[in-house]
Amino acid sequence: MPTLLQKLFSKRAVGNGNGSARDCSTGAEQRWASAEFDLAQIRLIVYQDCERRGRQVLFDSKAIHKLDASEPTADETKTPPNRSGACHIGSQANEKDKPPTYQYTRPASDVNMLGEMMFGSVSMSYKGSTLKIHHIRSPPQLMVSKVFSTRFGSSSTSGSTNTLQDSFESMSQTFPSHTSSSIEQLKSTVRVRHVPSAPLLSLVRSASFFAAHSNPVDMPSRGHSEDGDSGIARSASLSSLLATPQPSPGSSFSSGCASSYQRRWLRSQATSLQHGPMPRWNAEEMFNLSDESCSSNPAMIRRKKIAISIIISLPEREEENHNFQEFFFSHFPLFESHMNKLKTAIERAMIVCRRIAESSQRVQVYLCRVMEALGEFRMTVWNLYMAPRISEPVWLSMISQSAERNLLCQRFLKEMSLLMEHGVKSQFLSALLTAVLTHHLAWVPTVMPSNLPPIKPACQKPTSQTVDLLAKSHPYNPLWAQLGDLYGALGSPVRVCRTVVVGRRRELVQRVLYILSYFIRCSDLQEHVQPQGQKDNPANPCTSPTTDPNPASERICEKTFPPPPDTIKPIPGTFMEQNDETVSADTHSTNTPTGLEASMVRPECTEMGPECFGEHVDSVGGGLEHILANQSPLPQRVQFHIGSPREVENVGQAGGLMCGGQGLDRKLHQRLLTDIRRNESSDSALGDSDDEETSSREMYMAAEQTEYELPLPSSQVESRASVNHFGRSLLGGYCPQYMPDFALHGISSDLRLKQCLMADLEHTVLHPALDEPVAEALCIVADTDRLSVQVVTSQRRMCEGGRLGRDVMVSNLIHTLITSVLQLYALNIAADFCVMHLEDRLQEVYFKSRSLAEYLRGQTRVHVKELGLALGIESSDIPLLAAVASTHSPYVAQILL
Amino acid sequence: MNALVALCHFCELHGPRTLFCTEAVHPPSPSPPQPGSAIPGEREREADREGEGLTMRANSSATQRADMCEGCRSLPASHPGFVSVDGETGIRYLSHQHPRQPQLFSVVRQACVRSLSCEVCPGREGPIFFGDEQHGFVFSHTFFIKDNLARGFQRWYSIVVVAMDRIYLINSWPFLLRHLRLTIQSLQNTALKVFDSEQCVCPQRALRMNSTFSPAVFPHQRSGNAARSLTSLTQHPNLWDSLHSSFSWLLKACGSRLTEKLLEGAPTEDTLVLIERQTEQEEEMSGWDGAEGGGSNPQSSQSESVQAKDFQFDDRRQEDLIGPKFKSLRHLRQVLGTADFRQLTWHVLMGNQVIWRGADPGLIQSAFNVLKALLPVGCVRAVQYSPHYEEAYRCNFLGLSPDVPIPAHVSSSEFSVLVDVLSAERGCVNPVSDDDILSLYQFHISSANTQPTDKGPTLLNKLEVALSNENLSVEVVSLCLLCLKEEWMNKVKVLFKFSKVDGRGKEDTQKVLALLGATGPGEEDNVRLLKFWMTGLSKLYKSHLMTAVRGGERTLSQ
Repeated sequence: MPTLLQKLFSKRAVGNGNGSARDCSTGAEQRWASAEFDLAQIRLIVYQDCERRGRQVLFDSKAIHKLDASEPTADETKTPPNRSGACHIGSQANEKDKPPTYQYTRPASDVNMLGEMMFGSVSMSYKGSTLKIHHIRSPPQLMVSKVFSTRFGSSSTSGSTNTLQDSFESMSQTFPSHTSSSIEQLKSTVRVRHVPSAPLLSLVRSASFFAAHSNPVDMPSRGHSEDGDSGIARSASLSSLLATPQPSPGSSFSSGCASSYQRRWLRSQATSLQHGPMPRWNAEEMFNLSDESCSSNPAMIRRKKIAISIIISLPEREEENHNFQEFFFSHFPLFESHMNKLKTAIERAMIVCRRIAESSQRVQVYLCRVMEALGEFRMTVWNLYMAPRISEPVWLSMISQSAERNLLCQRFLKEMSLLMEHGVKSQFLSALLTAVLTHHLAWVPTVMPSNLPPIKPACQKPTSQTVDLLAKSHPYNPLWAQLGDLYGALGSPVRVCRTVVVGRRRELVQRVLYILSYFIRCSDLQEHVQPQGQKDNPANPCTSPTTDPNPASERICEKTFPPPPDTIKPIPGTFMEQNDETVSADTHSTNTPTGLEASMVRPECTEMGPECFGEHVDSVGGGLEHILANQSPLPQRVQFHIGSPREVENVGQAGGLMCGGQGLDRKLHQRLLTDIRRNESSDSALGDSDDEETSSREMYMAAEQTEYELPLPSSQVESRASVNHFGRSLLGGYCPQYMPDFALHGISSDLRLKQCLMADLEHTVLHPALDEPVAEALCIVADTDRLSVQVVTSQRRMCEGGRLGRDVMVSNLIHTLITSVLQLYALNIAADFCVMHLEDRLQEVYFKSRSLAEYLRGQTRVHVKELGLALGIESSDIPLLAAVASTHSPYVAQILL
Repeated sequence: MNALVALCHFCELHGPRTLFCTEAVHPPSPSPPQPGSAIPGEREREADREGEGLTMRANSSATQRADMCEGCRSLPASHPGFVSVDGETGIRYLSHQHPRQPQLFSVVRQACVRSLSCEVCPGREGPIFFGDEQHGFVFSHTFFIKDNLARGFQRWYSIVVVAMDRIYLINSWPFLLRHLRLTIQSLQNTALKVFDSEQCVCPQRALRMNSTFSPAVFPHQRSGNAARSLTSLTQHPNLWDSLHSSFSWLLKACGSRLTEKLLEGAPTEDTLVLIERQTEQEEEMSGWDGAEGGGSNPQSSQSESVQAKDFQFDDRRQEDLIGPKFKSLRHLRQVLGTADFRQLTWHVLMGNQVIWRGADPGLIQSAFNVLKALLPVGCVRAVQYSPHYEEAYRCNFLGLSPDVPIPAHVSSSEFSVLVDVLSAERGCVNPVSDDDILSLYQFHISSANTQPTDKGPTLLNKLEVALSNENLSVEVVSLCLLCLKEEWMNKVKVLFKFSKVDGRGKEDTQKVLALLGATGPGEEDNVRLLKFWMTGLSKLYKSHLMTAVRGGERTLSQ
């Protein structure tokens, strides 16, 4: 542990140095989090709950320390894990010398309690994964646990001498020794076993493409085996899926913001509670411990659960603790995505260990792999929390309609002019903007023309009224919507994209980041909170506690007058006075003279006789007995108002017939007959044989057919710009190395990018942070040293041999657009007008995409020359326009696939 | 937030029980709130009411049989529950002991059992998040309430928030924790006061120590032990009303805690011009109370009134007129021939007056409707059908009856074009079909224009390429025209800014024209088009730019 801690301190020190350097040099970037965050504060526990053996700790990072004898060099430490998972005996022999040696010590004292928290005190029969979050008060910690049902139990073909338990006191796991098959063959076996039929597989694969535009469906799990569907099958299934999209009211209400509105509407419906729980696409997540030997021993399958828990120690200081929790809970989808990656690595570690015969070596390989994965997780979380950010993204600054808008436009255009001059030969800026506008599609709704009259005449770009109305009446998660906007998940099929700017020259990279923060757009979030000093919080249900010891008075008050909560006085002494005042007010409201009141009550009681009293005794219990025993003036009033306010009204109406005498008697008689008749019909409908009980209840129900209406409490709120949202946190600044979560960030070295990017993109497709299926993940890599722009995709077959991605073809539309805007600026036209013109030109791109979509309707082939002549669309424009068209015309993808 | 809040209780006799539940019911689709009617329609309300009653009876009956003790019941079986309506959004917050819907009943039951019996929390009091896709996701906060008659002198409760959006629920953890703690502390403090006052009256601890256990007394003690309700523990007669208000507020505030500010594109100039015209028309109508229109022959000298009546004329005549009509630009091009079509559309785009003279007003109107699509809305000033000539400054589309003479200065002007609609020579022959215009009419186009019409403008050149391509559908051509119009309207904006607002010289203007792509072949026509189309800019846009300049000047003076 001391060595690990030294390494962590060293890493943090590097971060501090870079931070201070950045602060001194530019001031444009600043550190996001003010608090210090230590990687060692993250603890990993892996637990197993087995029917036969009970609960066992498979891993606890707190109980592991590294031996000093095998301390590695820095280069060896930075070696990434082997992504392919292949592990050979030869390489193991080498690894025995190079990797650090870990020793497993006695488990910590709190693991038993933590196990109870992970699995719960009672076993659940649910198959699949469950997610839990706990808050531990002392020491302050957050604990995120995932419990998985294992897909296949591990069969035991070896004796207990081959288990990890020989080396660990409390760890035990059966690892059969099979060295005959490689991981690749294992994958093939898994693929064959898990493919029920090709058409179903195609449907499953294709269904995920249009999940954002169709009804949520219960789909089987998606894994690595979904590789082999053909284009024809995909096209066929896409047609069937397109035939039944869920209609949204937005499509007829307003054509503006179609994709933004539709995405938010569908999300509010998919997560609605009003129709009961509806399982969604990721309901079948399991822990995969499959091995080929399971098929030969089906009887050996045992029920087992694996729990993975991440415990994050929170800062001791209250303010830092609060800040971290706010960040953690607002960015939870990203934390969970990395937790899923960690789970995958643990799966692989367990599978690989089975093929190692020697127990001590098996333990070492297992520990090395898990510790390596945990190190990755820690570093990623640290980067997510601590990395520098773009302090003033251009688009978000424009949204806030700041008074310095013209200055903002001037700086933006100046920076863009400088970058244009820098890369004029290679058309670097045009290529970069072509790529960004093609894949970060959140700019499209911001240029779709609005059909509604503008609210503020002076405002050049209106805020969307339709989306605002949707958010009020059908709440969706604004953080989720914003995250999707940042990743450009507006097209069809859904793709997510991130942009990385690489370069050794800091100022140049920062200039590129600054410019791109105008085109990578999202909504701005505002938080509505109660003022700090406000005391009357509607969440408080007991604003006026009463401790009146007199039960008779309490019952009288409860039965006669239910006053609003705010009218209860806090002083018990004045409570009775309030009661009297209420009685007087009620008497006044009925407009009945006092003399008539007494006379009305007396004849009614006399006429009803003991039957009436008996019925009332049933309804009020012992309270009435107390009242009668007291023989005070209150019983008369209480008796008068027994029941609902409606009965009071009825008596008031009956008062009008007092002069008749016989009329009153007849009316009461008819009312009783009506009640009896209703009771009979109710009995037959409900089939309830309890006549007396039903009769009493129905008589009461007839008077009240709907709920009591109470006013919805309102509280004073003040609006402020939200701090913890993705628009501020996912636009990174100039960082030492590549990080997977950011929609945009700059790096000085692309070494880690080349090592990790492909695996990250694949992971994004399998475990999207958007909590919805993603068809493809992309990354735009802009190299400011070589002035090249490439797009890397998660679909491997698109990659050519030896290259990370494909070069971006410059769109003629974008090149003309940028050139003309910058030339206008060079002619000294006002900066804010130039930006307005830029928006107008982007709107033209949108209109052209509508032309392309209309042209493709009914077409099965694309005539590029025809497009150029008739529509003014060149071949270099087609990828951009097709992507834009996919936001408002989903069928475009079907034709172009 | 699309969720529900429930108060749960661990009964010493019956185990986990749901005491009180508040759920949010959303309207079917978002619509602007109608003034004066905040509650959903009566029909929907009745349907909802029937469902409520039926479920309530069933649930009440089941509850009545299973949960007999006071601690397991919140509202009497005959209590209809509570409702609060958010007038702005139409969301209704309903509170009952149990949810009315069977699936939600099961979900809340599951959450209650897990919260109080299954999930482990250190210290037994505090927040937990748990759940899965099948049973929903739950934010749960367990707490104790003091009770003199309970085992250990306290009872165990929890408040659960159930939702299907786990990300949203987790994102709201800090908010929910902060406010549920207020609710819980309020309940606990109130109950503590009752507890302490009861201790003064009758100390239970000493009583229990001194009491002797006997089989006869035990059932009575247990029964009495489980009988106290939360209302009794807090001495709060309106506890459930208050909890309904607290839970309703929590659901609403949690859902509106974060709001999005989302920008969309500015309206097109055509949209703005149409809105401005409609506004002006409404103002004029209010001013003309009791006045009658001028009929089909407008006499008013105001151009606005001419345009206002133009709209009325369009609406009225479109329905009544019969006979062949032009359907699209391509159709017009086929009838007139490519050369005459080119000449005619050139005049339209240059802003010259287009005069159609003929006996069929419907045909002429359809021609105008087709040709208007070439121009921004603000550039169109049309008189559909008139018995006498109107000057060019009043209208650039003029329909005339056959016998109207054209003034000499108009015939010799190069800024006008005349299309005479003549009857076909073989007029006595029956028409092949109603749409065969050429079998009925001949079109004779005449103009004194000496400028070439085949060089520009660029917009027309591109449009003709699209029109001549038969593979493109009418919709594609229409969208292509829309693209071209928006493209050139954006150029108009730049030129307006440059020449009218900034007042730049000719040399700079030439540079702007070059970078706008208006130079080259057809440059003269492009410039004329750009100048003409400045009349298509909305007043809002012009005033906005002028205001910006004025603001800029003020800044300079400072």
